[in-house]
Amino acid sequence: MEERELVEYFRTQIGEDPDVASAVAAIRSLLEFLKRDQSETILGLRENMTQAILRLQETDSSVAVSSGGELFLRFISLTSLEHPDLSQCKNVMIERGELFLKKISLSRGKVGKLCHTFIKDGAKILTHSSSRVVLKVLENAAADHKRFTVYVTESQPDSAGELMAQKLRKLNIPVTVVLDAAVGYIMEKVDLVIVGAEGVVESGGVINKIGTYQMAVCSKAHNKPFYVVAESFKFVRLYPLNQQDVPDRFKYKADVLKTAEDLNQEHPMIDYTPPSLITLLFTDLGVLTPSAVSDELIKLYL
Amino acid sequence: MPGADKETDLSERIESFLSELKRCGSGAGSLRGSAETARETSALLRRITAQARWSNAGELMEIIRKEGRRMTAAQPSETTVGNMVRRVLKIIREEYARSRGSSEETDQQESLHKLLTSGGSSEDNFRQHFAHLKANVIEAINELLTELEGTTDNISMQALEHIHSNEVIMTIGRSRTVEAFLKDAARKRKFHVIVAECAPFCQGHEMATSLSKEDIETTVIPDAAIFAVMSRVNKVIIGTQTVLANGGLRALNGTHTLALAAKHHSTPLIVCAPMFKLSPQFPNEEDTFHKFVSPHEVLPFTEGEILSKVNAHCPVFDYVPPELITLFISNIGGNAPSYIYRLMSELYHPEDHEL
Repeated sequence: MEERELVEYFRTQIGEDPDVASAVAAIRSLLEFLKRDQSETILGLRENMTQAILRLQETDSSVAVSSGGELFLRFISLTSLEHPDLSQCKNVMIERGELFLKKISLSRGKVGKLCHTFIKDGAKILTHSSSRVVLKVLENAAADHKRFTVYVTESQPDSAGELMAQKLRKLNIPVTVVLDAAVGYIMEKVDLVIVGAEGVVESGGVINKIGTYQMAVCSKAHNKPFYVVAESFKFVRLYPLNQQDVPDRFKYKADVLKTAEDLNQEHPMIDYTPPSLITLLFTDLGVLTPSAVSDELIKLYL
Repeated sequence: MPGADKETDLSERIESFLSELKRCGSGAGSLRGSAETARETSALLRRITAQARWSNAGELMEIIRKEGRRMTAAQPSETTVGNMVRRVLKIIREEYARSRGSSEETDQQESLHKLLTSGGSSEDNFRQHFAHLKANVIEAINELLTELEGTTDNISMQALEHIHSNEVIMTIGRSRTVEAFLKDAARKRKFHVIVAECAPFCQGHEMATSLSKEDIETTVIPDAAIFAVMSRVNKVIIGTQTVLANGGLRALNGTHTLALAAKHHSTPLIVCAPMFKLSPQFPNEEDTFHKFVSPHEVLPFTEGEILSKVNAHCPVFDYVPPELITLFISNIGGNAPSYIYRLMSELYHPEDHEL
């Protein structure tokens, strides 16, 4: 399968189902690539796969695609260790890959079920930008007949907050859109903050849309719980110590990376929130404290 | 018929246990310590395993889960009951896995690794019958009971590492674990203890009397003086009713104040809690969290005129967030609050968090 076809497949996946997480779409495309791959050796397969992942990252430079790709690569390594023979290995890989995809498409539901019990009746929730996982959590809470109001930040530069507000209005949840700059102002009114994540790093911190760090610092200052909801395939092997440590390839959109002359003049799209500001992480592996995240990653990668 | 007799005997015991649980909920603290509750729950579960009718692990787990639900519903604030039920469920799962000969995981948790490498359905519905399962489970529960009996001693053995000569230790209310801890250290070291009386039940007074019998210099202070005295205190050692899954505490009313004062003065806060107090609940679940008792202690009925105009509450428990705690001392050693998630995964299976 050529790289061009791979990118086409990826784009169609996202186009067909806008609700699918980009990591899931990436893994699906990589599985398709695996099925059509013609290499004769496992090493060749790995090389082709690495190239494919690089191509996908050039199309969509978000952290989620990167974590999905790395997970898939790890998946191949683990399976190839058990079955050194390529043809047998490939069949096992394809079977397990389908199973893996099925499981992770259920993760969002699991997270939603876990988190909605933490939303009390009459709660005022603050969220940032547009996250499908947070939407699922709020959907579950509304279905449970809880009454709550939501404040969403506008989240410039792409006004993703407006999208989120529309989706929430469709669910009959009272929602107010606030300016990004109004986070400090609104913080005294809210009871809890729930945000999604594009990536969860090894220290237990998260990488999310720009403005999340601000919100976390404000909520810490006001002593409000700051919850992060994320599926487990977003765990990524990065360990940033500050904002500068987050690699440039995640901070900016793919086309900006290619065309920009001076990256310092561009606006970053994501920021890093350290684990000390996060109260709890809700994942499909359960409710985790930030210190438990590195345990999970170690179990997988070592 | 002997079978029917056994069953009625069993259900009688369960009923009497349930009614005792319901009764002892009222009043200052508990009429029996949590250690006794834990022991009695485990003994009852052992009896259920021995006497109830079941043919495979799945049925046994269903029976225990059902009884567990009834027991926790009888007294939701007594979390040790639920914890023991979960421990026994985990024991059953382990014994079942061992009987099946799965050299598998001691790690039954969901993990990314498992997601990637499992092929096919790993659904285990525990339906296989094993002849020795009953004996194995009962033996394991006996081990659990032995462990329960040794908890206070195990905790007190660590006292000498944490208490040094001429230190001033502060505590609040009455905790049997802390009492044993301090008494053990007093055998070899001389130190002072300040006890906050913890109104309105004032259990601090009993604690002070008991400690002074062992020749420990004790001072009782009212709760309002906690902050004022804190600057002279070297360590704060407290007990708790429950340790929550995020590392926070559900402790006696007034403990949060003590913890905040300690944080302000950068005084280490040490919590002595045996492992059976560790509960997989998080502090946001509303109904099981708070317990209120008669406000007679706060505002007596003799103050009739005021009573009609105000609302009086008498909460029994306080939530202490994990950031205020320095160290947990339990029967398996000392741990940081951020490590609690790990201990929890060793003690309980995630599917048992909700009984």
